[in-house]
Order: sequence, then structure tokens, then C-alpha cells
Amino acid sequence: MNGTPRALNRIILTLIGLLLIIAGAGVLTLAAVPAAASWWQDYAQRQLDWLLGVEDHTRLLLTSQSWIWLAVAAVFLIVVIGMVTWIGNQGKGRASTLLDYQGNPDDDGAAGAVRLSCAVAEQALKSALQERTDLVGVTVASYDFRKQTAIKIRVLPRQGVSPHVVASDITDLVAALDKLLGFEVPILLSIGSGARSRFTKAERVR
Amino acid sequence: MREPVQERAAGFARHILRRETHSPRSAASFIAAILVAAIALYCMLETVLSGLGQPTWFISPGRAMQWVADLPGDAPRLLLGAAGLLLALVGLIFFCHGVLPGRRARHVLRHPRVAIVVDDEVVASALAKTARMSAGVTREQVMVVVSARQVQVIVRPTSGIPLMEERIQAAVEARLNAMSLDPVPSVSVKLAESGVVGV
Repeated sequence: MNGTPRALNRIILTLIGLLLIIAGAGVLTLAAVPAAASWWQDYAQRQLDWLLGVEDHTRLLLTSQSWIWLAVAAVFLIVVIGMVTWIGNQGKGRASTLLDYQGNPDDDGAAGAVRLSCAVAEQALKSALQERTDLVGVTVASYDFRKQTAIKIRVLPRQGVSPHVVASDITDLVAALDKLLGFEVPILLSIGSGARSRFTKAERVR
Repeated sequence: MREPVQERAAGFARHILRRETHSPRSAASFIAAILVAAIALYCMLETVLSGLGQPTWFISPGRAMQWVADLPGDAPRLLLGAAGLLLALVGLIFFCHGVLPGRRARHVLRHPRVAIVVDDEVVASALAKTARMSAGVTREQVMVVVSARQVQVIVRPTSGIPLMEERIQAAVEARLNAMSLDPVPSVSVKLAESGVVGV
């Protein structure tokens, strides 16, 4: 539930895929059908001649080269920057503030603010879960998702541990956390298996 | 006043669960972005060299475009066709990544307060334990495959000790019902034809 731009990922992947399919199919057709090849050579040559004409008109006095190449280079630079930004946007969105409450006259008239760090909830849940012997891994992290702070709990149980038993214990913990904080934070519990739970011994006695 | 808040929370949870059970396509995006950026960087280099009137590195943009316009030119047809096919296949992979739903091997555990997802592997190992206990066999004799709508339990009995398929089925179904997964998978238990000797 991080801030990965999923819709954008899919749109750009679909576009790149379509472009490659069209280009590949075009090359395949040119290689296979002579009629298509002669049509393409005729069509493309005309476009190219037009482009070379433009290049001739746009030569700079200083370098006697056309500036359109520099303009094209600028377009490519924008593409590179866009791609780097796209990569940088994957998986971000970690949060640090759980609650920021400003005192107001409607409440009890007290001035001031209450600010809770996400670490409050994270540490409380994590320390409670790390005592358990049927879990080999616990990660608790907070994310800003749709303008709301939410907590993600990822636990890796040992082999053979029933997920609903783990889940009901953790939901009890969450209920206790709700009481402690006085408000409900959206919580995601992800029960998974990693290399550590796969290669450690199954729990026999509990 | 209370109703809309709860409704919003439910919508939020539904949204989170949808995200957690579907692939974010980060890996494919990463590869695509690196590829496009590399190609764009090279093109940028050549166009800048051409714009400044410097000698080209590999091929000038004008010559490259002439080569494209002359296709198929004197390139071997078979090689060109294969290259086109490869290009289209790579495009198809990216296209499928963009369009297919990309469900992850996970199930949702229904709960009113917390959004819970479970990896299918965890469900499988829990069900394998149940099947093993009810059949009285060792770990190696049980295999469980969990998919979105089906649970397949395959038990290899110990030679000479008959197993009751219904008992295993009932035990696994009871455990599965206790989990209250969404979607609910159906259980099928299979006993292997050949038994195992010496366990």
C-alpha cells in the first residue's frame, strides 16, 4: 500500500509494449512482403527528404550545423529525466507522523497540539509480536496512502502455523492499540512466507 | 455521523486489499524505464554530436534515418524478420504486463477491523499440517497446492496402512472454513496410487 504509481506503471508499460509490437510487426512485414518494402521506401524517402530540407534551412551561423539536432537532443533529455523520475516513484510513501491534532475551543478549550509519531504504534506492535515463537519475522511500517496514515504489519510465521490463529491474535493486539491511542488507524496485516520461514524448523510444541 | 466514517474506512480497506492482491508491476516498469533511458541517452549523445558538428560516435542521426528509410535494404531478410519478431515479442511481454490483472498468489482473510492478506504458501503449509495430522503420515508424504479457487491435497499413504480419504477431506475443509478465506477455495483430496515403504 505504498505510493507506487500503479496506474501510471500499467499505462506506460502498455504504451511501450504497443510501440514495440508495431515496430516489430512493421520490420517483419518489410522483410517478408516486397510490395510493402517498396511502398515504405518510397514513403519514408519523401519524409526524409523533407526533414533534410528543414535541416538545410535551419543551419546556425556559428557552427554551420542545424539546431534541430539540439532540439531533438533536448527531447531525449526530457525522456531520460522522465524515466529516472518514474523509477524514483516506485515504492515511496513512508510516513512519520501518526496524528497531528490541534487543540481548539470546541474541544476543551485547551491551547496546544498533540503530535504522535508513527514509531509509537510501530514499536508497540513490534515488541508485542517479537516475543512470539511461531513468527520468524516481523516488520511494521507506516505509509501515507490516500492522504491517510496507515500501518502495515508483515509477519512471517513458521511452517504449519495456521494463519487465522496468528491473525486473530494480532487483531486482539490491534484492538488494544485502538484503546491505547483513542482512535483507529487503518491497518493492513500481511501474513507471508520468506526464505527464513521456509528453512527454519516447523514448530512442534507450543 | 458515524455511518459515513465507517463506510469510508471500509472503502479504504477494500482499496488496500485490492492493491495487496495485485502486482504493482514495479519490476517490469523498472526494466522498461532502464531500457528506454539507455536508448534515449545514446540517441541524445549522437544528436548532440551532430548538432555541434563533431565526429559521430557510431552512426550519425541522418545516416541512421536513411538506413531505416531504406529498409529492408541489403540486410539479410531472415535476420531482419527474426529481429522484427523478437521486437514484437518483447513488446508483447510489456503489453501483457500492462494489461493483465496480475493477481498475486494471496487470499484475503475477512475481518471487520483489520485488512488481512495471506500468502497462499502459508495457507498450504497450514493445510498440509492438518492433512498430515489427520492421516497420520510424515511431512514428506503430503503435498498441498493452493490456487485462487482450489486446494489440492495429495497424500502418499504408507504401504499397508489404508487411509480414509473422507476423513482427510473433512479435516482440511474444517481448517479451511476456520480461516474464512476470500475467495473460498474448494478442496480435493487425492490419494496416490503407490504407497511409501520404510517410513
